[in-house]
This record gives sequence, C-alpha cells and structure tokens, in this order.
Amino acid sequence: MTLQQPLVLAEMPSLSKLYVNAAAQAARRRLLGTHDSAVLPAESHEVRGVRVNVENLTAYQHLIGETASDVLPAGFIHAIAFPLAMSVLNRDDFPLPLLGMIHLRNRVEQRAPLVFTDTLDMTARVENLRGHRAGTQVDVVAEVRRADSPDVHWRGVSTYLAKGVFLPGIDKPTAVPPRPDFTAPDPTALWHLGVDTGRAYAAVSGDFNPIHLSVLSAKALGMRRSIAHGMYLASRALADVGPARGDSFTWDVDFEAPVFLPSRVALEITSEESGAGAWKRSDYVAWSPRSGRRHFSGTVTAV
Amino acid sequence: MSIDGQTTPAPEEPAAAAVPATRRAVIVGGNRIPFARAGGAYAKSSNQDMLTAALDGLIARFGLQDERIGQVAAGAVLKHSRDFNLTREAVLGSALSAETPVYDLQQACATGLETVVGLANKIKLGQIESGIAGGVDSASDAPVVVSEGLREVILDLHRARTLPQRLQILSRLRPKDLAPLAPGTAEPRTGLTMGEHQALTTAQWKISREAQDELALNSHHNLAAAYESGFFDDLMTPYRGLTRDANLRADTSMEKLASLKPVFGRNLGADATMTAGNSTPLTDGASTVLLASDEWADARDLPKLAAVVDAEAAAVDFVHGKDGLLMAPVFAVPRLLGRQGLTLADFDYFEIHEAFAATVLSTLAAWEDEDFGRTRLGLEGAFGSIDRTRLNVNGSSLAAGHPFAATGGRIVGTLAKMLHAKAASAGRPARGLVSVCAAGGQGVVAILESL
Repeated sequence: MTLQQPLVLAEMPSLSKLYVNAAAQAARRRLLGTHDSAVLPAESHEVRGVRVNVENLTAYQHLIGETASDVLPAGFIHAIAFPLAMSVLNRDDFPLPLLGMIHLRNRVEQRAPLVFTDTLDMTARVENLRGHRAGTQVDVVAEVRRADSPDVHWRGVSTYLAKGVFLPGIDKPTAVPPRPDFTAPDPTALWHLGVDTGRAYAAVSGDFNPIHLSVLSAKALGMRRSIAHGMYLASRALADVGPARGDSFTWDVDFEAPVFLPSRVALEITSEESGAGAWKRSDYVAWSPRSGRRHFSGTVTAV
Repeated sequence: MSIDGQTTPAPEEPAAAAVPATRRAVIVGGNRIPFARAGGAYAKSSNQDMLTAALDGLIARFGLQDERIGQVAAGAVLKHSRDFNLTREAVLGSALSAETPVYDLQQACATGLETVVGLANKIKLGQIESGIAGGVDSASDAPVVVSEGLREVILDLHRARTLPQRLQILSRLRPKDLAPLAPGTAEPRTGLTMGEHQALTTAQWKISREAQDELALNSHHNLAAAYESGFFDDLMTPYRGLTRDANLRADTSMEKLASLKPVFGRNLGADATMTAGNSTPLTDGASTVLLASDEWADARDLPKLAAVVDAEAAAVDFVHGKDGLLMAPVFAVPRLLGRQGLTLADFDYFEIHEAFAATVLSTLAAWEDEDFGRTRLGLEGAFGSIDRTRLNVNGSSLAAGHPFAATGGRIVGTLAKMLHAKAASAGRPARGLVSVCAAGGQGVVAILESL
C-alpha cells in the first residue's frame, strides 16, 4: 500500500464541468491516440467539510420512497460523493475513457448512520484494474467520514466497465460460467416508471448524464431511448426492503439489463431471519414483466 | 411453540388479562340507501349527501327526530380534504339533535365495521347509551388531486411575501403541472393494485375460475331472492330513484360469467382468473346502524335484533408477500374464536365480505389447510371449514356492490336481522360471524348473537 498523500480539492467538483471535460478528453484521445497505459493513478482525491442541503435530501427521500428522516440514505451518500469519484476517472492519467462506461456492480457498506447535520469528509480512488470478457473493468472506491472522525462511516465500491477497451498487459478473464436461467417469480412490487424518471433522479442526485435525461439526448449517445439510473433503481430496492434493515448494513447490486423509459419493472424481495426472528438479509431481483428479462439483483445484509 | 405466523389462543386457556364485566351493546336496526354503480344514479351526490340520506332513513324508521344520540361514528375511504368533519356535517344536516357528538373514522374497507365495534365498546363500558355507526363512499365523486408541481407552487405562493417572490414561484409552473392526477388504487408500498395483489393470492391458493364464478352467481341469486322476499324492505331507504342495488344481476348465469375476460393478474405470470364478474365494481352508497344499551332501547320501545359480542382486528405483512394483501381475517377469526371458546361449527351464518370472489375462497382455503393451520396459526392442524350453505345467504358485495366504508354497516344491519329471525324460527339463540378485509393488509372481524 502506498502512503501517497491525497489530492485535496478545495470544493466538490462540478459534474457538468467533468462531463464536458470528459467529452473534450475523448476527442483529444481520438485525435492524438491513446497512450495505452495500464496503470491506475495511485493518488486519491479528497474533499473536506461537505454539507448536505436538506431540501435536496428531502426531495431525494420522497423520490426514492424513503421516509424523510434525518438519516442520510446510503444511496444519497453515493450521489453526493459521485462528483468526487468522477473527478478521479476524469484525470489525464486515468487509462480508460470516462464517457460510455457502464456501471456493472455496486457495493455499499453503511457502517454507521450519518445525519444531515453532519459535516462530511470524503475520499475517492480507483483500484483493481482488470479484464472483462467485453473490455476492461475498474473499481472506484469512495469513503465518507464524519469530519474529524477517523472512522469510515460509509464505503462504496462501484465497478465500471469500459466496453471494447482492452489494455496491454491485462488479460481477458477465462470464460465466465453463464448466469443460470432466470424464471420470474411472483412479484412483490410493481414499479411504474414514467418517461421523466431519469430527469427526476437527475434533479435530486445532480447526475445529469444525458443518457438518462430524454430520448433525444440518449439517442445522441447511441442509445435507443433514455434509461433509468442504476443507482435510482438500486436505491428504490433498498427503500423497499424497508425499516427492518436498520441503520447499518451492506447493500449490493448487480446490474444486468438497462431499464429503458418509460417501463414497468417487477420486483421480488425475500427476507431471511435469524433463529431469534431478527432480520438477517433481504434479496431482491427485478425484471421486466413484459419480456421476463432480469434487470438487476442484489442483497441487503445485516452488518 | 414457535411458529412463523400469528398464534391463536387455545379455547381452554382464557385470555391473560381478566376482562371486567360490561353490559350489553345491542343492534336496534340498520338502514342504507341502495348501492349504485360508479357514474350511475349517485354520480353527482357527495359523500355527505349519501350519508345524510341513509341517516335520515334510520331516524325516520326509529323515530329519532331531535334525539341527542350518544355518539355517531362514520367515515369514508375516498374522502375530500374539505370533508374532515364529514360525519358531523351529515348529522347537522339530519333530523338528529344538533347536540349529537360525532367522530370520523378511516380504516379502509373495514371503516364501517370498526365504527360498529368502537361504538358498541363505548356502550358496553357505559360511556354512551346510544350510537349510530356508519360509512359512505363515492367512487363517482372521488377527490381529484393536482400534480405535485402545482401543489408545491400553490403552497409556496401562499408563503411568499413579495411580488418578485410570487413571480419567481409562478415561473416554476410547467404545462404538465396543470394536468390533474387520477385517484390511484395501488398499494403505496408495492405499486400493485388490490386486484393484482388478490390475483397473486388466488394463484397461490389455486382458486379456480369456476369456483369464483359460482360464488359470484350465488351472491347475485341470493341477493335477488332476498329482494323478492322483501327482506330489505325495512333495511333500506330509496334514493335518487334507486330502490335496489344497481349492480344486482338477478338473471346472470354461469355461462354469462364464464364469458367474461380476466382483468387482473394478466401480466403477473400467474393464471389470470379474476373477471369483472367475480370482482366487486366501483360503487357509490351509504349505510348506518343504530346501536344502544338495553335500557335505552327498552325506554323507547325499540327492537333489539342482536348483540355485538366481540371483535378482533388483524394485519398481515403483505409488503414482501409473506401473506396476501386481503388475508388478515384469516388470522383475526381464529384469534377471536379462540378467545370466545368457539369453533366454526358454532355459527349459523357467515358474512365474509366479497372484495373478490377469490378473497372469500382463499380465506376458506387457508382455514382448511393443515399445514397453514400448524405453521401459521399455531394450531394442531387445519382451523376448519364452514358450512357453505350458511355463507352470505342474502348476497354480499359481488352482487350489492362495495362502497368501501359502507360495506360494514350493510353487513351488520343485514346479519342482525337474519339472526333475530333465525332465533325466532329455531327457538334458540343464533350466532353470526362478520369478516371484512381491508387495504394495507388489514382486517376486522366480529361476532353477533341474536336477541
């Protein structure tokens, strides 16, 4: 482990500037050729003294289906740390193109609750550059502490795939066993996602990625229609697990097929209890009731 | 014993806390207006109009003009925010004394039965001598809600102090904010409608289409026969030209019911068996029940049809599908009967609200299931089965319709009269069970006994 000092940013970076910069960088790389490095930047990025806007928090909680309590939802912390994570991917020495990366997986450890009056320190770094049958994948690790506390309260690992990008020295993994066939169970919930689902989540998360905003902006980036944010879907599933999960838990999600908007998504949540009747874990799986295709699945587990 | 369900007290072990002796609460009689299909005869009538009509009929029948009733309790499920004092306004518009206190109650489709239980308990405790329970609902005159965008603009405008602030707030309005939202019927936590929830339960309990259609057919035939025999003559006040429930199809047949296409559960993977024929339609209507202490009824020379013996509420954890949305009575009835030391064989009549034909059949199937009885009810085996000739003998919601909060009062008024007649003809007391399921995974059940 290197003991490199983090790069401390003066304020939370602006996502829209990052997206513009990423587009410029993509054009530059196309013109000048990529430098084909297979090394990740070791430096982490840090922002200190982040405050939460309570109106934004309330809007997020209402949209996701969480009760508007003072505790920050785990997915909300992901959203406020997201620009910092993106700033690492936006570095000139980051070897993969930021635009068009696909969110494959997300894992969050909510070790202790944070409330909206807390001042937050956040760090983000990249690690674990590795092959994937369709390209190259990388983990973005974000950690959030209460200001001046040594303990990490929230830790998120987001795995992204740069599709079609193969770097020298990174092998494709040997053939992965295919996922078992999915047979849709009886749903326990049915989500009716309107065409404005992407815009509504962008408004509360600050992530105005064009593939989520409208048919036109999504088409400009080569999508058929706009798609729902993965973290919107996973956060709603987390909310649907309900209060049994308490304030500390781990929360995993695997994304499989995008949810094109508008659409209906069927969901099944099954919970397991320990011998004493206390909640142990909940598994969730979501699919298209029309095609039967699985969209995503995951677990929420007691710490 | 540890079970993954809701335990049922055994008949031999009395409830832990000793219940102090109370006096009796009696049902004097009921009155309702005929139920109309949504958009029909009562399309322009408000909840207040209909509740007042049912109330005035009751007042006329039992000579309650200018009477100060101990308390009136009623409610509606689909309620305008301006109707926060719906029942009080109805009483002020009725012939009752304006000094009659009231309360509004809302417990989804169990609203009507819960008002009966609540007022009966007050009578038993000696807090009141008389009570009128009731309920009303209009699916026609339902509240229409403005969009969140418009609502927030209106509320923020109200708080703004200066013109520039107001203009800035108004500039947030978008054309789509002006479109009203239709009232939704989905459960908030699942996004599934009540019909979709029941469709899942129906498939889980393997309830056939034929069994559902047969139950619906019986409901129509039984209700039609009850009208023919004049049963409802002293239970109903005509309103807006209706003298019978508009949903009643006396001439329906298995063939006609079989020809209807399934409407619920088509996209849920389960076999779709629930049609418009074996599900209740959206309905408008109101009902009332007069309750009293023996002394109050005797002093006015009023009839005493039945006593409200006991009641039980239950709820199920339906959100992740542990139980079906409408299955709470499955747990409430064994608890209630266990407390009273009764079995299903001890009842002359069963009034199980027909939210859907499949709701009744799923309930009966759960009670007849050995495994369910053991693992979920904590019993030795199956809870039991009922004599189907005693079920909803004068029709129920499939035929009459189901104006949500009015159903409890319809059932209690009907059953009290049936029990009184049964006791007179059989020369022994008669007993009846009422079971009403409700949105949110709730249910209320009650025992009535003839007087």
